[in-house]
Amino acid sequence: MPRIQTKCFGEVDYSPDAVFEFPAGVPGFEGEHGFVFLERPAAHPLMFMQSVSSPDVCFILLPVLAADPNYRLRLAEEDLAALRLPAGRQPRIGKDVLCAVLVCAGGEERPDPTANLLAPILVNLKRQIGIQAIQTQSAYSYRYPLTPQDRQVELAACS
Amino acid sequence: MRRRAGESFLIGAVEIEVLEVCGARVKLGIVAPDSVLIERKETQITRDENITAARSVRQQNISSLLNKVAFQPVDASVKNLTDAAILTTKCT
Repeated sequence: MPRIQTKCFGEVDYSPDAVFEFPAGVPGFEGEHGFVFLERPAAHPLMFMQSVSSPDVCFILLPVLAADPNYRLRLAEEDLAALRLPAGRQPRIGKDVLCAVLVCAGGEERPDPTANLLAPILVNLKRQIGIQAIQTQSAYSYRYPLTPQDRQVELAACS
Repeated sequence: MRRRAGESFLIGAVEIEVLEVCGARVKLGIVAPDSVLIERKETQITRDENITAARSVRQQNISSLLNKVAFQPVDASVKNLTDAAILTTKCT
């Protein structure tokens, strides 16, 4: 069984059919075409999207509905085609596609954690294919605050 | 500057032509040297966010994230689909 070196969890065995193909990579990491999804019970509901070719490339993912239970997708036709989903119909989150958002976990650059609700990671499990869909016709934030007090500040700033 | 469909303008060596105007949407044609990267602004924003997100993946940040955030409960069907994607090998 092949092994990968992961960023957070040491060496991990994986089977090739657990690898999801990202034909275009994701912006900033266009050369990364294969990812596995990892989880740890202690980190629930977070998931980790680890590149199979670069140990240092790993993202923290959150199922989008764990960030916003009312989240609605507005995918462009080209995104549906890239996912090999039928045209003209938005896929159902959790039924047709896995939809998760990239989390910025904090640290010096961005002390308060945020999630990119504008550009979710979408995976068609039947086809083992994934994309990061940048939704141009969506009003979601690419820096959605994950801590409630930050959200209140944001709302106050809007009123 | 005001342009109609079929008219163009230049930014340095880059030519931009308004091909089609349809309601609120505008279709543009761009002629530029190979060295000029042409992308939507949202792609650039997403790239910067992704790089910051990847840098933030550190054990101490993950721990503080889990302490700070109360996540919404996830529906069982979503959980099942998520489980289907997860590498079955348990990592410790």
